[in-house]
Amino acid sequence: MEHLVEVQDLKKSFLTKGGIFGKSSDVKAVDGVDLYLNKGETLGVVGESGCGKTTLGRLVLRLIKPTSGKINFDEVDITNLSERKLLWLRKRTGMVFQDPSASLNPRMNIRSTLKRPLVVHGIKDKNTIQKRIIEMLEKVGLNEDQLERFPHQISGGQQQRVAIARAIMLNPDLVVLDEPTSSLDVSVQAQILNLLLKLQRDLNLTYLFITHDLVVERHVSDRIVVMYCGKILESADTDELLGNTMHPYTVSLFSSTPIPNPHLKSTNRFIVGGEPPSLIHPPRGCRFHPRCPYAEGKCKKVEPKLVEAAKDHFLACHKFEEIDLLTYVKRFWKLMERLN
Amino acid sequence: MKISNILRLMFGYRTSCIGALIILAVSSVAIAADVIAPKHYSDVDIVKKLQPPSWKCIFGTDHYGRDVFSRVVYGTRIALWVGLLVVLVEALVGVGLGLIAGYYGGGLDKVILAITDMTWALPPIVLALGVITLIGPGLTQVVAAIALVSWPPFTRVVRAKMVSLKEREFILAARSIGESSLNIIFRYLLPNIVPSIIVLMTLTLPSAILSTTALSFLGFGAQPPTPDWGAMLSEGAAQLIIAPWIATFPGIFIVITALGFNLLGDGLRDILDPKLKI
Repeated sequence: MEHLVEVQDLKKSFLTKGGIFGKSSDVKAVDGVDLYLNKGETLGVVGESGCGKTTLGRLVLRLIKPTSGKINFDEVDITNLSERKLLWLRKRTGMVFQDPSASLNPRMNIRSTLKRPLVVHGIKDKNTIQKRIIEMLEKVGLNEDQLERFPHQISGGQQQRVAIARAIMLNPDLVVLDEPTSSLDVSVQAQILNLLLKLQRDLNLTYLFITHDLVVERHVSDRIVVMYCGKILESADTDELLGNTMHPYTVSLFSSTPIPNPHLKSTNRFIVGGEPPSLIHPPRGCRFHPRCPYAEGKCKKVEPKLVEAAKDHFLACHKFEEIDLLTYVKRFWKLMERLN
Repeated sequence: MKISNILRLMFGYRTSCIGALIILAVSSVAIAADVIAPKHYSDVDIVKKLQPPSWKCIFGTDHYGRDVFSRVVYGTRIALWVGLLVVLVEALVGVGLGLIAGYYGGGLDKVILAITDMTWALPPIVLALGVITLIGPGLTQVVAAIALVSWPPFTRVVRAKMVSLKEREFILAARSIGESSLNIIFRYLLPNIVPSIIVLMTLTLPSAILSTTALSFLGFGAQPPTPDWGAMLSEGAAQLIIAPWIATFPGIFIVITALGFNLLGDGLRDILDPKLKI
């Protein structure tokens, strides 16, 4: 299958200044990531907050400049292109952000917000613009009478629909969705997810779907990449990753999904303690070892490489052959199924 | 926010309502000066010099026998005109520099900030006096001098707003659809700063009026017989003991006008942007 996006050994660090006497230090938000996106698929990126998944999304769209590594979009190297030379990429990509009220200009009404992508990319004819706006409104399920409103005059769900319409206004190939549902009500979340799936089918879109919610990923993604502390720990097709989970971090990630059952015993859960490590001084060896219940000598010293542990199932863990997590995994999905 | 909403809030809020009414009254006086003033501001009647206020001549006359009321009324025009002009020029300079400093950051930001702080650190009247000695006295020169020394608050406020707005997601969203820097500044950032600029303008207008009167009082501004309030104050100061009305009435008008703009500015700040603190 043809790759739309290829990312090789991508790194991005942000410089933080430490006051007058403090040393400035590097925050390594993304620290050596390889991935690819097939045309028309949805790649899910999961991880807890601060693991670098948002930075990764912005890097892929070249909204920020990588520190090192390589990004290809449709076989064109976009790693070091200047803003002016990226205009074609802006036309072929879109982005939807987590908080729709923050991602829409508060002083721009819906009509202007939707008009801008067309104007920027040289569509000046008023009738064409009007037709396109109406067509998009219908696609995302909004009414024409909302066009003159300002973002604060419509609901959160409607705001997110506007943001989605803006992102797909120019028929892009790739849309990066950065937690598009996590600031919405649960009832609206499902609507937006279904809308996104429908749009993908209709417009043949490729999604990079960033979220911390594995249950949402299961619903939308074809493949999933699990990130931790700027690195990829596990990646596989959705069914394989969730049915045959191998990395302890991935299990802990979906095991932390709240299950509304008061009789559920905590022993049925696989929960790790501690907090995500500092991105300035990441732990030596495996980055997950301070929180991993199975960690031992080697984990603390040698950083595991991403290897193919099963067919198309990549994993960065020294101990996957010794530990058995399948009991937890099976029990968890059984519980989830019983709820549905 | 729609203009009708702002107007409704403005008159529903006591501070800004009083301020707006004062400014409305002062502006009407300025517009209708020819109708309100019984005489022209430079009509000299030496026989009736230094007359105290009476029903015929409610603010009295000065030492040339000119009607103080007429001169105060015509002075409204100059005060408002000069005040507005000064504030507009200040805003133009200050906002321009603030936009550049806030958007581009880095070395340019540091240079602009240094110039801003240095200008701000010097006492404005002294600095304005220095400028006037260079370019000569007169009302236009006063406008230029004051605007040249009192733009720093605009730069500071605009820059601070830019720095925080720049990090908001809608700016990133604008970049993701391919907007140019110029479009991002003028279509996305500036519209979100305009309320703060308007508030700052109403709040700096009184000090602009006060500075012009101060310079005129010192003899650098309007030259006689222009009915400038500051110039009238300084002429009246010589006769303060025998004819206190000559200086008192322009003084009262200066205070009222400045107060009106201050009240309106305070009210507008609460209505448009409760978070703005100057």
